[in-house]
Amino acid sequence: MIPTLTTDRLILRPNRPADFEPFAAFYASDRARLRGGVKSRAEAFLQFAAEIGHWTIRGYGFWAVEEAATGAYCGQVGLWFPDGWAEREIGWMVVADKEGQGIAREAALRARAYAYDDLGWPEAFSCIADGNTRSIALAERLGARFDRRHPRPGQPDHLVYRHPAPSEIAA
Amino acid sequence: MIPTLTTERLALRGPRLSDFEAHAAFRASDRAALVGGPDSRATAWTHFTSLTGQWLLRGYGRWIVADRATDAPLGVVGLHHPDDWPEPELAWSLYAPGEGRGLASEAALAARAHAYDTLGWTTLLSFVDPANTRSMALARRLGCTPGGTHRHPDLGPIHIMRHPAPGRTP
Repeated sequence: MIPTLTTDRLILRPNRPADFEPFAAFYASDRARLRGGVKSRAEAFLQFAAEIGHWTIRGYGFWAVEEAATGAYCGQVGLWFPDGWAEREIGWMVVADKEGQGIAREAALRARAYAYDDLGWPEAFSCIADGNTRSIALAERLGARFDRRHPRPGQPDHLVYRHPAPSEIAA
Repeated sequence: MIPTLTTERLALRGPRLSDFEAHAAFRASDRAALVGGPDSRATAWTHFTSLTGQWLLRGYGRWIVADRATDAPLGVVGLHHPDDWPEPELAWSLYAPGEGRGLASEAALAARAHAYDTLGWTTLLSFVDPANTRSMALARRLGCTPGGTHRHPDLGPIHIMRHPAPGRTP
């Protein structure tokens, strides 16, 4: 029910139990501060299960991003819309040792194509915690533009970025 | 991939988006205080979606307990196994409209039968907060016997209630 997608270097596939260790390590680190917040191992498991369960509740969700050449787990990229979110978004997370190689960009482009071509989304957004400059830079490299600020109780505001529409990408 | 179980009055089925409002109302209420709550709506969403995630990860999990006639969601019952649990447990939580009619017992018996007969498990326990007297009474009605205390690092001491083994259930 969760499709597997490929790009030049990557496989976007359903999460497996073994992905939890690198997922939990990411959420134990300070790098998670602007990406949902630092989490205990128990909280990370709840989040991990929630990202998988999102598929059955919404019909879309996060994929595990795997490096095709090595099989290494790189992070989570996908389509995400929890209750209370400003918009349906394209989201990404890359573990520390896979950063700086354009992996999030390559996977996000594939996820966006899936949203537009397979799911028929007329538009897509990315909701980025205020201050997450690396994610903002990636959104801009993907052609997304700042749309508005979305306040969230007890958490950093989301900066909502609007991706180019399907027609703007085709043109 | 989540099997549906039926009992006289209930269907135990996979969670759906339309169940979320009832689940969020329960998680926001004082009734959730003895099961890790109360929770914000955002946390309730994470909790709710994690239900089906655990099924995909482990091959077993918790069902929405629905009224068999109307499909209205009445609670969550099944085999709960987060990372910080030493083993899977048979867990039950009824939403307020589902209380007081023996529905938790009816659903728990169906879930226990699934664990023993379909999954082939040979043991099963339930963790119960010592302050949760109603849950403790239900565990006893299900034939459970006290199995000591589990000291959870965050939640503190929790009673272990050990279910009767397969073939010895009441």
